[in-house]
Amino acid sequence: MTVTTAPEAALGVLPRADGSAKYSHAGYTVTASVNGPIEAQRRDEHPYEAHVDVIVRPAAGVGSTRERHLESILQSSLTQIILVKNFPRSLIQIVLQVEDTPENDYVNTKLVQASLNFAIMPALFQTAVLALLSAGVPMRATATATAVAIVPQDGTKTSVVDPSPRDAEIAQSVHVLAFTSHDELLLAESEGDFTVKEWDDVYETAKQVCCRPVPAKEGMEMVLDDEHTNGPDLRHFLRSTMEQKVASDLHWK
Amino acid sequence: MPREAEPSLNERQFVLQALQDSIRLDGRELDQYRPLELTFGDQYGVADVTLGKTRVLAKASAELTVPYADRPLDGIFNIATELSPMTSPAFEVNRPTETEVLISRLLEKTVRRSGALDTESLCLVAGQKCWSIRVDVHVLSHDGNLIDAACFAVVAALRHFRKPDTSMEGGVLTVYTPAEREPVPLSWLHSPFCVTWSFFGEEGDIALLDATWMEEQVRSGSCTISLNKHGEICQIAKLGGVPVEAVSLLQCTNVALIKAKDMSSKLDKWLAEDAKRRDKGGLLAELSAENDRVPDI
Amino acid sequence: MCTSTVCNTKKQNLFNPPRRPHPPHLIPSSTSKPLRLGPGLRHLPPSDIIPTVAGQLITNPQKNSMWVEYNNNRYLPTPGDLILAQITRSGPDLYYCSLSPHTPLATLPHLSFESATKKTRPQLSPGSLVYARVVLANKHMDPEIECVSSSTGKSDGLGELKGGMVFDVSLQFARRLLMSKSREEGKVEVLELLGEEGLAFEIAVGRNGRVWVGGEDLKAVVVVGRALRGADEGGLGVEGQRKLVRGLVRGMK
Repeated sequence: MTVTTAPEAALGVLPRADGSAKYSHAGYTVTASVNGPIEAQRRDEHPYEAHVDVIVRPAAGVGSTRERHLESILQSSLTQIILVKNFPRSLIQIVLQVEDTPENDYVNTKLVQASLNFAIMPALFQTAVLALLSAGVPMRATATATAVAIVPQDGTKTSVVDPSPRDAEIAQSVHVLAFTSHDELLLAESEGDFTVKEWDDVYETAKQVCCRPVPAKEGMEMVLDDEHTNGPDLRHFLRSTMEQKVASDLHWK
Repeated sequence: MPREAEPSLNERQFVLQALQDSIRLDGRELDQYRPLELTFGDQYGVADVTLGKTRVLAKASAELTVPYADRPLDGIFNIATELSPMTSPAFEVNRPTETEVLISRLLEKTVRRSGALDTESLCLVAGQKCWSIRVDVHVLSHDGNLIDAACFAVVAALRHFRKPDTSMEGGVLTVYTPAEREPVPLSWLHSPFCVTWSFFGEEGDIALLDATWMEEQVRSGSCTISLNKHGEICQIAKLGGVPVEAVSLLQCTNVALIKAKDMSSKLDKWLAEDAKRRDKGGLLAELSAENDRVPDI
Repeated sequence: MCTSTVCNTKKQNLFNPPRRPHPPHLIPSSTSKPLRLGPGLRHLPPSDIIPTVAGQLITNPQKNSMWVEYNNNRYLPTPGDLILAQITRSGPDLYYCSLSPHTPLATLPHLSFESATKKTRPQLSPGSLVYARVVLANKHMDPEIECVSSSTGKSDGLGELKGGMVFDVSLQFARRLLMSKSREEGKVEVLELLGEEGLAFEIAVGRNGRVWVGGEDLKAVVVVGRALRGADEGGLGVEGQRKLVRGLVRGMK
């Protein structure tokens, strides 16, 4: 199966939600809807800030503790970038529906417990951010996320950005990192065995993917092909997606 | 507690009055569907159906399991429908609403009980091993007529789906991964479609197809007819609402057949287009170890 | 920092991803009036002004104000807005009305109608529609609306709407319809065009994205609604609107 490496996104795909986005990257396709600020249920109501509710739904099968875990990670990091204090006592609801995950041609998948793995986190995170932007929810900063796996290969260890399911399976450790548009580290979750040195490498790699400076408008046509960069330029991607959205929204200006 | 917005009195009155003059708000004829569209995912068995602003995603999946003790020769086939808060914030996770239960039941009756999928073919070793086929229906956007869209999505997903190939040699069951052998399609017997009529007025004398959410909220009854392109009716469900004349119901069934034929040919066309897209270079036929079967679909 | 192409002295075409301090030369500077920040901007003391949503930055040097023009789908009540509200239930001395689905109900006192007294107040049943003005809206309280001008005691066209039909449009389209020069500034001409075609109808545009259209002729009301929705959803320019209206009116006859 050919996996497209360039991320793709469409905003406002669900006409009845306040904001929505469909994002596909590295074989993962996720659709997200954002509704909010809406009335919160009594148990979720907070007197000073909005409650951010994240729901992750696997494509097949029922969600389990695994999804709840991803939800809680996403919830805490998204609460950091949304200006929750602007909407006390309300609810901002983000529903992430996984549509496609890359297939591992060498293993037959078991689907009763659709256990999502860590490698899907960047896609979930990115879709959520895009949907929030599409809903016009005020945010402190935008953010970009990526996954890096440390894969043993011929005795040496290499770090792989956006690991395929096969890479993720043989990897020693998988890391998910997210950075805000201000180059601050927003999220760092790791799984597996790794040394501090390895984590530092992962951090540098992820930062390079997430925080590449946006080229100035003049030089936009010729994006410099840096030999050392690997992975897509997420920040530039986010920006150009939003520029398109704003241009079509404000066509009458 | 988030609540669903109800149409105002003005809207109710207007929609009903306009329908008396056979005017629909979006300018459609009474028996006209909104544009129906279908896209398949990169994987086998993912169907994304849009019907106007209604959007339903169905995903079929298969796994090996043990057959039920009382049906040792049958595989297992399930349809799971859940309306998530993505459909509307009024839906809560793990708390089924009436709409959700209704859709599940109707899909069950239409697709599963009508024998669209040959469950016997899913059995690998009697009483010990069989395939369990599961279809997950995700409603992404709800603007009325979920049932017809969901049924179309389920049928499309199942017909598009490929399960891993297997072989039996000397009592040893081998399941091949997609890398070893090209997956094989399900043994499909016929394609049922749902056509839902909505009735308006106290006598139920105005009938229309493919109601929008607004129309569904003011209708006085509905009737779902499930049938395939040969005119074989799988089920008719009319759950409450105003009584409808038998003659007009017959009329409805006749129109439903035309619509089912139309949906059937559309689905055939899209499946053929998708097969062409996947079969680049015409290599798939060689990769498949399956003998050609000509199912009557 | 920001990519900007200056169209004219008043408007800067600018895309603002959140967290990107505005370059100082874009901020209008007037010493006589305080700088006013509109929606989508956030002041971080001491001197940073940061956008929180994606949109176009608009500055108005005369009023010494700036804001971000953007499209969102969830109505946030703001004092002075004209809105279309639906009565949900009646309390002892006020009505509870819904402004948008899934949000807290707004209150409308029984006496906030023209020349209303305890005995002569209008009796509105649940499901009735009123055209009203937002009086009070802040993030810690449920909004309050009125159907009478508190200074003059006149209704100014506010009050119950009888008959007719409601059509939902995007918030931005409603804003454009409500502009005093909707043809020049909002680039929306649908209503004028429909009038020129000889259709008779009444209209009340709510800032909450709901438009009420009334009239004797059902067909005309439907055509007006379809024209509004078509122009909104299709993102039509003036020429497109003209074509749409012509087509719809021809189809009606």
